[in-house]
Amino acid sequence: MTPAEPVAAVPTDAALIAAWHGGDEPAAAELVRRHARALARFLAGAGALAADVDDLVQETFIRAFRALGRFRGQCQFRTWLLTIGGNVVKDAHRRSRRARVVPLGDGLRATDGDPHERAVAGEAERRLAAGLEQLPRMQREVFLLRAQQGLEYAEIAAALGTTPGAARVHYHHAVRRLKEYVK
Amino acid sequence: MSDDALLHDEQLQEVARRLGARAADRLDVERTAQAVVARLRTEPRAEIRVLGRIRPAWLRIAAMLLVVVGAAVVVRSVWHNQPAATHLVAGAGGGGGAELNDLSLDQLRQVLEDVGQPGEEYEAVSSQDVGLEDLSALELRALLESLEG
Repeated sequence: MTPAEPVAAVPTDAALIAAWHGGDEPAAAELVRRHARALARFLAGAGALAADVDDLVQETFIRAFRALGRFRGQCQFRTWLLTIGGNVVKDAHRRSRRARVVPLGDGLRATDGDPHERAVAGEAERRLAAGLEQLPRMQREVFLLRAQQGLEYAEIAAALGTTPGAARVHYHHAVRRLKEYVK
Repeated sequence: MSDDALLHDEQLQEVARRLGARAADRLDVERTAQAVVARLRTEPRAEIRVLGRIRPAWLRIAAMLLVVVGAAVVVRSVWHNQPAATHLVAGAGGGGGAELNDLSLDQLRQVLEDVGQPGEEYEAVSSQDVGLEDLSALELRALLESLEG
């Protein structure tokens, strides 16, 4: 029986944040690698144009690193990051002042399976995206954090500065309204 | 997936989980990481932008304070500039010029002495070096009536 290979300890987000505070740039890069894709999905779900997602991901990380001194660990770093992403999307919409049209673009197309199923799935996503745009911001973000990111209500509540009960109510209101939009 | 299927929460969640998946797949994570680090290194911290965000709030507070203080000053000045002479005359004379005719010479002088604390009208009289004691009852009534406006 051979001895097990030593497993390299994976630094926690908190350790990386502390390292970044100490001037460790690779720690910041690692945080970006860990959370960038989840953030991109959240931003797209929150209404970011597919062409803007790259820039908005960067902008969100820049704001987050600038504001890390205010992060008290009340929730996971990723959850906190996603709430900052919500602000970034809102600011981007305000800046652009353009009519928001959700194209049936690459971001909403499935690429595998039966073409008809792909088309139906793409249509479902398009309608869900359009429905999300009609929701109040709190409902939209609670829905995305819960349904897309799979977070618990307590975690969502901590990130959004509300109670788990209120987060649950927002979620159910969002689901009820989204069903109206997509049916 | 049929449209009806979307009515089920689980399938709604499934669609939500797919939302943005392509955008996430397209993201060049390593390039993004390097770009973020480079921006953090080169861009100055956003103190100015922070000040820029705070400034309008402070300006709004200052403007509100200015309005409140201005309103208080206006109310105060209106309150203090009420025609005191008219009040005094009205109080002494029973509320109307018609009653002046019923006052004696001494009563008229008393009223004028009460009224005549540094008012402009009284100064107009005193500038002619005329004392109340020098005025006749008719002149005193005329003076009081003029004070009444």
